[in-house]
Amino acid sequence: MKKDPDKGYIALLGWSLNAVEAAENFDRRYVVVAPEWAEEYCQKYDIPYVPWNFERLNDRSMEIADTLKEKGVDVAIPLFEETVEWAGAINAVLLDKPRLYGQSLLLRDKALMKRRAQLGGIRVGIFEEAHDKEDVVRFLKRVNQALLKLDGDPNDPIHLKAFDKAGCLGHRVIRTPDEVDSIPDEEFPLLMESHLDGWEFAVEAWIHNGKIAFLNISEYVTLGYSVFVPASPELEKFRPQITAQIEKLIKTFDIEFGLIHPEYFVTSDGEMYFGEVAYRPPGFKVFELLERVYGFSAYQASMLVFDPKSTEEEVKAFFPKEVVDAKGYAGCFGVYPRRRVVSHLEIPEEVEDDPYFESHELTPPQQETVTKRTAFGTHWGLVYFRGEDPHRLRDLLKRQEEVDYYV
Amino acid sequence: MINQQPFSGTQPEPAAGGKLAGLCEKLDEAITLLAAARDFAKPGRLPRVLDSARRVLLQEGGAAEIERRARALEEAGLFVGSDWDTPQYLVPSLTTNALKSADPDTVVIEALSELRLLAVAMGEYLHPLISAEQARHYLTQVMAINLWLLFGAPSEAERETQGRLAQIPRQLFHHLAERIGYEHIIDSLIEEIWRILQQRPIQVEPVKQMITQIAICQANPEIDLGTSGQGADRLVSSLFGPTQACREDPGIEIYGERLTSMDATALQSEATGFARAMHDTGLVSPYHPVLLRHLLDHGDHLLAEALGLSSTGRDCLLCYRELVSALISNAVHPSTPQAVYGLALMLERGILYQPPVAPAMWRQLRLPLCDETRRRLTLTFGDAVPPEAHLLEGVLCMLGQPLGVGQGNNPTCQSARALSMWAYNDPDYLLQMVAWAARDDEIIMHFEGQPISSRESSGGVAQYLPLDLDPVSLIVVPHLDRIYAEMGRRCSGREGDPHRWVNPEFHGWWAGRGFRINVDVASGQLQDLETFLRHFYASYHPYYNGNQPLIHPQPAGVAVTDSAARFIGWHAITILRVSLDPSEVMRVYFYNPNNDSGQDWGDGTKVSTASNGERYGEASLPFEQFASRLYIFHYDPLEHGELAQITREELDRVIGHIHRSWGADRLPNAEM
Repeated sequence: MKKDPDKGYIALLGWSLNAVEAAENFDRRYVVVAPEWAEEYCQKYDIPYVPWNFERLNDRSMEIADTLKEKGVDVAIPLFEETVEWAGAINAVLLDKPRLYGQSLLLRDKALMKRRAQLGGIRVGIFEEAHDKEDVVRFLKRVNQALLKLDGDPNDPIHLKAFDKAGCLGHRVIRTPDEVDSIPDEEFPLLMESHLDGWEFAVEAWIHNGKIAFLNISEYVTLGYSVFVPASPELEKFRPQITAQIEKLIKTFDIEFGLIHPEYFVTSDGEMYFGEVAYRPPGFKVFELLERVYGFSAYQASMLVFDPKSTEEEVKAFFPKEVVDAKGYAGCFGVYPRRRVVSHLEIPEEVEDDPYFESHELTPPQQETVTKRTAFGTHWGLVYFRGEDPHRLRDLLKRQEEVDYYV
Repeated sequence: MINQQPFSGTQPEPAAGGKLAGLCEKLDEAITLLAAARDFAKPGRLPRVLDSARRVLLQEGGAAEIERRARALEEAGLFVGSDWDTPQYLVPSLTTNALKSADPDTVVIEALSELRLLAVAMGEYLHPLISAEQARHYLTQVMAINLWLLFGAPSEAERETQGRLAQIPRQLFHHLAERIGYEHIIDSLIEEIWRILQQRPIQVEPVKQMITQIAICQANPEIDLGTSGQGADRLVSSLFGPTQACREDPGIEIYGERLTSMDATALQSEATGFARAMHDTGLVSPYHPVLLRHLLDHGDHLLAEALGLSSTGRDCLLCYRELVSALISNAVHPSTPQAVYGLALMLERGILYQPPVAPAMWRQLRLPLCDETRRRLTLTFGDAVPPEAHLLEGVLCMLGQPLGVGQGNNPTCQSARALSMWAYNDPDYLLQMVAWAARDDEIIMHFEGQPISSRESSGGVAQYLPLDLDPVSLIVVPHLDRIYAEMGRRCSGREGDPHRWVNPEFHGWWAGRGFRINVDVASGQLQDLETFLRHFYASYHPYYNGNQPLIHPQPAGVAVTDSAARFIGWHAITILRVSLDPSEVMRVYFYNPNNDSGQDWGDGTKVSTASNGERYGEASLPFEQFASRLYIFHYDPLEHGELAQITREELDRVIGHIHRSWGADRLPNAEM
């Protein structure tokens, strides 16, 4: 697409083909900042590219900021959890706002993030940092004591999460002290949280000039397995409360622009608990789902709200109206093989014949034995569904947990 | 945007027809997404297209829906970056494995490609790379090779590996057969086989496969071929039961036992039967070698009879009795039956009378093969007999059928042409090349006095070692290809076309050092067309060159066009002779290293391979039509160089052909 020199020049941090394609079809100039392995590909397809290895931030961090500044880049957008603090450091230079770097560090550390939220008056569950297995056992006992459980009563589980990993990576659920032994030492230190019984959901909010430009609620059918957008009417009922929560979050974290992706629980009495927030596109291809139902590219949306040269009017014109402008509901399911030994991929006939079934990204199995699943995440691929009835879609997504894709 | 008719959970599931419509809608969406994607993003959009297409193909009537979308699918970029992107090079025999694959994507893309070609063949889709006739040829062959898909139910093995997927090739073939017409398939298949056999290719394996498929269908009581397939008897019997004693295809061992109890009359009848079948078709039954080996102890008369020799061949056999025996013992086995045909034709050519040929054959008989040669021969032809026997079979076939050499599916027309030319014109030189390549794994040729070793030259025209070749080509072509490419490299920087220097050095002293080309290499525009044509007439046309028949085969270059007369590429051929055909038309007879010379070049120019006075393996065109596709020829610069006084009309006709075909967009500005 023809690039408009009066609009912003944007750096994409990390390699995402979908993001590149969206940028290519958008009127902003862009450059991809990615590791060297992307170079050949970018050359082949004439994709603007600057090589950079996103390891730990170090003395050379200024170098990439300077390089981008020299090129005339206006802002950097993080595409992955690992590039969030890089975007903070780079944008601090590009936009001359040193504060942005500190903000990004806050958004990268789950323990710091929770404390900040708590300071801002946002409700969070009980949490603690663990440095070894003993900490975990103690926390499990304390939480269950506080819940007035007697010996022999089944424990309420606790959740363990790595400080700085995206989404479900490294997420474990622990119910008994015995299970603590299964945690590898290298996963410490980590964050422990009490379990909240409730309805978990995520939000994707595009923020421009400190205000919400578009707010999507993604409804989880089962955490780590399935999600759909827009949320069902039952969850959308909470939209005013959710919007209020997001505004609180924006204020607490002092977010002026960009895309945030927080997770919440809403308990049966309508109370909202903050889980965590990420400053990057969500996993589980929620961007694609949004494009399916709303028709706009969520990557372009991010470029728009990050771009300091975007005007209020342009932002307003870009986004559709939440929920009412959605064409049906789109959801996806992350497939994990249910058997220990699998030989091939076979889409179940009931799925294939279902009018809601759209497509899948599954590939034939590479190995026959399925490694035992120790944490959430690492599904083998997604299956996409779309239809008009949110309840039928939700039931369909739930049903997928009981069918075999790999046999 | 997409969803005009909302789905609803409360609605009853759509009926079968509605289901197909719903799936087609999804497919159309996926195609649109693929078409809209940037090149780099296309691979990411492919799985959805393939998966939707798979679901459509599983439905009754799905194949028709795909056929309707064939053009949209291809234009969206479905085949980009794969072999299917160049349909003109697709090999029918490779479809079997693709369609049997357990990988859904492979099965689906193969099916989509077939349906695309069906659309081309039916004239619904004018394809830039392949004509309707080519597509139809290809599909006929594909169906011939995969007849089991048309008539058989999925086997246990297929069900096991493919599951529901096994339905797709079947639905596909039923659709193909319905569109093309069942009765046409077997009959046009038989026609196709005869047409190919008339060119007497050395490689007959694909033809044998097709005949085997017909035989299997004929033998299966569940398959009703109707009245079609009558013409297949000679083909099937020539392979599986050409004589009285093997009529019911009893197996090699039983046949061998039967021979031991036969008297001279019975053996005579067997010999005649085999010889007739072989010379009728160019195919040799595996029973034939059994007889031939048996006859080694029964005197020359029966041997000559079993080879079907004329008096020329018989003389040659009698002169070289010991050599022929040795060749039969070493090269003729049930798994190398074509050696019989090669041997018979070699004897008929009388080339053993050339002093170096017989001793060179003795060398070939005892030639120690290097490890690489053994490995490649075994890999390609199996290990039922030693690799030496396969190579020997190849040598006999090449010497017997010099015009039966094919380049396979490789861009090595130059090397195939050289092999054919040597076998035709300089057989002992060919044997020398085979010895060097097979024994030393190295060939050294000279270019303008400088030696070029095939071992030191990196990179030929072909990027991979070819495997779809006859035994001699398999061993020698990789060397020739590298040397040829190296000669080209040594010409880089010279002005004009490198063939000027490479062709004579590469092929032999008899290739004329004089060189003419009618295309300006730098601009690709036509140049000096009239002088070029007048000179060609003066050099080759008997009416203008003092009625001098062509002495040596001459390399030449043609601009190959498809049936719509669109330019396809430059191609190396050999001009063999120019003479009047049975209906008194002056024709150029030439050799085309392409595996099938019968091609329609468009604008009324159809290359003939039979019934216009062609010898086996020759292609021919009326002189004018040939001249209109020629762009390079060689001549002897010492012959007088007076240009032919061709009439204006004749010249205009030829130039008209050029302007209407490959020359259409090569007109220099002045001529426009």
